[in-house]
Amino acid sequence: MAKNLSGDLQVASANRLADGIVVWLDDAGQWTDRLEHAAIARDPRSAEILLERARAESFTVVEPYLVAVAEDEQGALEPLSLREKIRASGLTFEAIAAEAVRYA
Amino acid sequence: MPDTYFYRYDDFDRTLVAERVEQFRDQVRRRLAGELTEEQFKPLRLTNGLYLQLHAYMLRIAIPYGTLASRQLRKLAEISRKYDRGYGHFTTRQNLQLNWIRLEDAPDALAALAEVDMHAMQTSGNCIRNVTADHYAGAAVDEIEDPRIWCEIVRQWSTLHPEFSFLPRKFKIAITGSPNDRAAVRVHDIGLRLWKNEAGEVGFEVIVGGGLGRTPMIGKTLREFLPRDELLAYLEATLRVYNRYGRRDNLYKARIKILVHEIGAEKMREEVEAEYLSIRDSALRLPAETIEAIAHQFAPPVLPERPMISGRVEAERLSNADFALWLKSNVAPHRVKGYAIVTASLKPAGSPPGDASAAQMEGVADIADAFSQSELRVSHEQNLIFPHVAIDDLPQVYKSLAALGFAEANIGKITDIIACPGLDYCALANARSIPVAQRISTHFAGLARQHDIGDLKIKISGCINACGHHHVGHIGILGVDKNGVELYQLSLGGDVDFGKTAIGTILGPAVTADKVVEAVDSLVATYLDNRQDNERFVDTYRRLGAKPFKERVYAAV
Repeated sequence: MAKNLSGDLQVASANRLADGIVVWLDDAGQWTDRLEHAAIARDPRSAEILLERARAESFTVVEPYLVAVAEDEQGALEPLSLREKIRASGLTFEAIAAEAVRYA
Repeated sequence: MPDTYFYRYDDFDRTLVAERVEQFRDQVRRRLAGELTEEQFKPLRLTNGLYLQLHAYMLRIAIPYGTLASRQLRKLAEISRKYDRGYGHFTTRQNLQLNWIRLEDAPDALAALAEVDMHAMQTSGNCIRNVTADHYAGAAVDEIEDPRIWCEIVRQWSTLHPEFSFLPRKFKIAITGSPNDRAAVRVHDIGLRLWKNEAGEVGFEVIVGGGLGRTPMIGKTLREFLPRDELLAYLEATLRVYNRYGRRDNLYKARIKILVHEIGAEKMREEVEAEYLSIRDSALRLPAETIEAIAHQFAPPVLPERPMISGRVEAERLSNADFALWLKSNVAPHRVKGYAIVTASLKPAGSPPGDASAAQMEGVADIADAFSQSELRVSHEQNLIFPHVAIDDLPQVYKSLAALGFAEANIGKITDIIACPGLDYCALANARSIPVAQRISTHFAGLARQHDIGDLKIKISGCINACGHHHVGHIGILGVDKNGVELYQLSLGGDVDFGKTAIGTILGPAVTADKVVEAVDSLVATYLDNRQDNERFVDTYRRLGAKPFKERVYAAV
């Protein structure tokens, strides 16, 4: 699948204040926990504006910042850095459940 | 159940912790209401052990010198189930981290902790952190004196110490009461080793300026022998010198190890001794009755001597090969005849090292109640210890642990891996640690092979801060990020054994994540081909040097 890996595409991300979970700013200026709903800045000027909007909407989140993403032909987004991939998709191993007594 | 062999909060402690919880509750309320900015709130939450990691808030709970009562572990299970996702991570500093705490729940979690005389203060920030100790404390056959007495004295002295709440950097103290150092005292800001001099007096060797992280250093002995009642004066003097001269201009040069390195051990000693002389006879000198009162809290449980040989143990040993291996690796001698120290392995093959579910914590607490005087210890190697188990009860303890998944006979072996949370959780990490540990432990899962390989300590860190102690692993593995790719740097020859403490040497170029297991396998194969007599991996490495290991690893990967 062809992807735009130029690093030009960016989304605004933060952690939600109340519970710390990862969120992204959508086109309506709301914070969403779904990356696919994130507003995309496609050039440096748009990225500046997106970050300003994120900061203006930061009452319920902690320290918004820009994240470089790639977009495939279907419009699916994927962060470029491993750190942001893990933030977006969660742990890369299976965490144990509360009632687990044997998880090996 | 008995609960008499622990630190006990007095009214002062309870009031302090309760007030702190309510203070934090109000701070959280104001933050959620927008009355505090994140910039204002961040230092307040960190002061209460609440970090913001990649996916959520993380609460780091102090377990004083790794000592836990069963009721406390049960409460930790309850908190993890009620306010988190039902599991926790025991850390290399004998603490517990809960990885999914909601900010709005944090005050209630802290209030629940206070119910069992626990808190999360001084688990962050540039202060004196939770003091760590030998995890066999109070039970070890080689123990000269219980180090927890002195940990508790240091805890009381250092808790919210106004002069040392804003040090140049964080400050970690470890204490051992045994000649066999299980507390890694030479790689702490201050390490204290209790020993007996020729006159039969017990005192401290004071080791200063050790540490891992970006600039690993082995601590220097500032005092060969310090009388016990002068401990706080000497610590205060050392901290004052550090507070005065430690660098605040550069985060990476702010630890005391850099100060000791830059001015030299001799100058450091002169400065500390001069300060010490000026305060030695102050209120910091510990009255004998104070020491006795605290020692009384850690009085050993009454354990009537029992036979060393148990028919039940021998029968199980003959019929169950895994149990026989477990006896060798997970059971240590106790100072009372007929008892043993048992280590529950939180490293089942393929599992995240140090993680325990709420159900497992409760199961461990039940075992402690039934078989170990309701006492537990957390080791810096991320396992749980039952300090007082009757030898005759070992088969039952083994079966109970097996039902929890914690009976792996691997303590000190290649799958007893120390690993930090790494990039899966940690905001500071550059690379993942846990999946690497899981792959190695899965690869070497067979117990017979592990016991054939013998003692081998693998320690993995996901960044140069070295929470996984990679510098002192026989095999150290450091995750680095190179142009967005995780690479793993191998080092060999690290050690924390007393008299042999060493920082590992980097083997060569870092390897990709998919080659780590192959590389470790090559290191082990080189050892097995070359070992003599009963040499451990690290002994063979010391004898031969890096060359044969290096050649084989880089031919394979």
